Amino acid sequence: MSTDTTSGAGAAAGTREAAEIAKSGQMSRRDVLLAGGIGLSLPIVGGLTTAASFALSADPARAATAGQCVLGVTQEAVNFNPLLYVNTGVESSVEYIVFDALWKIDPSGAFVPNLAAEIPSQDNGGISKDGLTWTIKLRKDVTWHDGAPFTAADVVFTLDTLMNPKVTVRSRNGQEHVEHYEATDDSTVTIKLKESFAPYMVSWQKTSIIPKHILSSVADINTAPFNTSPIGTGPFKFKNRVAGSYIEFEPNATYHAGAPKLTSLIQKYVPDQQSLYAQFQTGEVDIYDLQGIPPLLYQKAKALPGSTILLSASPFIEFIYFNCGKPQFTDKRVRKAIYMAVDKKGWIDAVYYGVPLPTLSYLPPSHWAYNKKLVDPGYDPAKAAALLDEAGWKVAADGVRAKDGVRLAFSMSTTAGNKSREQAQQLVQQNLKKINVEMTINNMPASVVWGDYTVKSQFDTLMVGWDALLYPDPDYGDRINSKAIPAKGGNGSNYVQYENPEIDALCAKGVTIVSQTERKAIYDRIQEILLDDLPFAPIFAYELIIGVKDRVHGYQVNPYTPINSWNTGEWSTT
Amino acid sequence: MLRFLLNRLLQSVVLLLGVSVIGFALMHLAPGGPMALYTLNPTVTAQDIERVKVLFGLDQPVYVQYLKWAGGMFTGNWGYSFFGGQQVREIVLDRLPATLELMGTSLLLALVIGVAIGVVSAVRHNSIVDYVSAVAAMIALSLPTFWFGLLAIYLFAQTLHWLPAGGTASTSGGDLFDRLRHLVLPVAVLSFVLVAQWSRYTRSSLLDILGQDYIRTARAKGLRPSRVLLNHALRAALAPLTTLAGLQLPLLVGGALVTETVFSWPGMGLLFVNALGMRDYPVLMAILMVGAFVVVLGNLLADVVVALVDPRVKLEHG
Repeated sequence: MSTDTTSGAGAAAGTREAAEIAKSGQMSRRDVLLAGGIGLSLPIVGGLTTAASFALSADPARAATAGQCVLGVTQEAVNFNPLLYVNTGVESSVEYIVFDALWKIDPSGAFVPNLAAEIPSQDNGGISKDGLTWTIKLRKDVTWHDGAPFTAADVVFTLDTLMNPKVTVRSRNGQEHVEHYEATDDSTVTIKLKESFAPYMVSWQKTSIIPKHILSSVADINTAPFNTSPIGTGPFKFKNRVAGSYIEFEPNATYHAGAPKLTSLIQKYVPDQQSLYAQFQTGEVDIYDLQGIPPLLYQKAKALPGSTILLSASPFIEFIYFNCGKPQFTDKRVRKAIYMAVDKKGWIDAVYYGVPLPTLSYLPPSHWAYNKKLVDPGYDPAKAAALLDEAGWKVAADGVRAKDGVRLAFSMSTTAGNKSREQAQQLVQQNLKKINVEMTINNMPASVVWGDYTVKSQFDTLMVGWDALLYPDPDYGDRINSKAIPAKGGNGSNYVQYENPEIDALCAKGVTIVSQTERKAIYDRIQEILLDDLPFAPIFAYELIIGVKDRVHGYQVNPYTPINSWNTGEWSTT
Repeated sequence: MLRFLLNRLLQSVVLLLGVSVIGFALMHLAPGGPMALYTLNPTVTAQDIERVKVLFGLDQPVYVQYLKWAGGMFTGNWGYSFFGGQQVREIVLDRLPATLELMGTSLLLALVIGVAIGVVSAVRHNSIVDYVSAVAAMIALSLPTFWFGLLAIYLFAQTLHWLPAGGTASTSGGDLFDRLRHLVLPVAVLSFVLVAQWSRYTRSSLLDILGQDYIRTARAKGLRPSRVLLNHALRAALAPLTTLAGLQLPLLVGGALVTETVFSWPGMGLLFVNALGMRDYPVLMAILMVGAFVVVLGNLLADVVVALVDPRVKLEHG
């Protein structure tokens, strides 16, 4: 008897069963309708799952353990070496818990010394007058989780690793501007930059230090056991991980900034947003972090007893990205007309329940470098249509504008299955139809749309949320500099293929000046030009909806970090 | 018997090799790739992506990549994840116990309950019991499991607080009782669907047999009805059911995609969804191969068992 006959028998059984149901005649039309009726009520009951649940008042069946805090996330952290491989956002959380950088950034945007003894500046002699030589003094009382002392050699080793072409480093964090570096003694590192580079403070804030005494001897750092059981200097030690479920951290009693107050910190992975919300409600999870509670549930979440719902500003701006290399978008008047024809307020209100903040720039409106003088072209379909007429895009017989044989029709792409974005796309589609512009929706899985399709500028338009490269530094050169177009062999992330010599000059100047007031003028001008040229149309700055149980104390949202685990040492639970 | 097994094993090796070639080719032919998620990382530039791509060997021709991977598999090296660098064998073996726990319990439970309902439905053919089980089975088979899952969470976790909403154990540790409590909801949801399948198969298979001449003969001889049912009818009806069991064996390691996601169950299904979303090629290939291996094994086992319960089937022809 072969495989074929085996499956043949199975199929035969199946057919017999179907025949049986049909023959018996008992699966009547009424039964089918009943089953269908239940099917129809599905979305309603699905909504009730969350709708009725806030009526809860009793405490969860599972009593929360004092001193323990459970951080709920909808993405699983898979990479624990802070320099290597991917960081989908959730890895930052583990990084901040286990590792330290030389300094961190607090919610006011100020740099606070961490592994460094002080923040280098021109006043204290840490930065030379020309801004090229940095002398960084390190703390002498820091130890690794295994007890070994932390020294300048670790900082040098971290830079060696970042620059090593054989290591799968995800980003060099701007350290490629370094010409020379050395440990002048056990607690001092001296760095010489190739050219003045203002975002360099942020480079170090983003570079977590890894231990030389463990990693310098491994055969291949890319596959070292360290990557799955990391050892850092941070407030918590990596205790154990149950793949696909959670990671447990235990406090580092000898932490240089004081022992953490929690007795146990758990990062729990719950893949489904609804399920995570349910677990937050039942108290199985204390903090709903990372991408936050879906805006749809914001009002309901606010009514949850025993919880505080916080809005957390995020570095990410939602854009419509135009591919300026496509014939439809070479003329900036077309891009501008589209920007004016889109009801941005309607988008924010209808799709995101009014939570995110409108912005006219690639920076959130709360950022120090945000140009407050920017003028919103507004939502004005009539003006948009007039602008297109003026630019020569006339309505053709098929009802869509065209010029020189090019139809004003294009596709918009984003990650398939992102419901909010899909709704927003339909809204934009309707808006544009009114000015005789045809937009089609062409969404793809993340692994497709953000691959070559984006990087090699094959798209027409994208709907995407992106931040500045070394945020919170306002430098945006990597995304707008004409030498940064990968599709044209450039180095950078200028996927919109935007070219403007004035922008190139301003970007180059902006990163060399250290004075914040002088820089502000440059970035004001950059934002003004960008709002006029519109290589990408800024819509809003994301505000994440974070849920925190009242038993958690010390949790503080930080608009300058991608995740709010920046001060876990100060968290406590009752 | 021995010749049959050797023959089948040889066939299986060729089959698995074919699966790996086709799987690898399809994976690389499909649009997109693992580098896309790097594009979305903050602070990552296009040249960073290019550099990492070369380190992963993704710039090489697909056949070179395949030969490297296949060579590794033969020497027991399943490769390393593109997202974190962990050994793929470790990643897969980490997830297997959770899936075995969930699927093993569900399949076993479904088998017992499903066959029982099926037998009752067949014997009490066209009775109220039969109709109710038919309708219940139709509902179970036609409604999506995520909906059952969310409904169960809403009812038993959010509203009644009887059971936890997800996971395999409480984060504060977990004794046997705690683990069982976590098992109840996902197993109930999964079994519901599986019971439906088993009961329908058992019913139709048994009804078929009960209509046969030799059953009438047995009854005519004056055998007790229970003896006719258990010794004559049910044994004969087992053959197609064994086949179904063989076909469901891959579920044991494949896990249940939707149920695992809704109940945050750290099994193979969830691993597969995530690896697929990220296009983590080495992990995807490993899951494919483990799955293919169990499919082949399940078929083989089913054939052997069918031969044992049904004397008409001879293995020598295999």
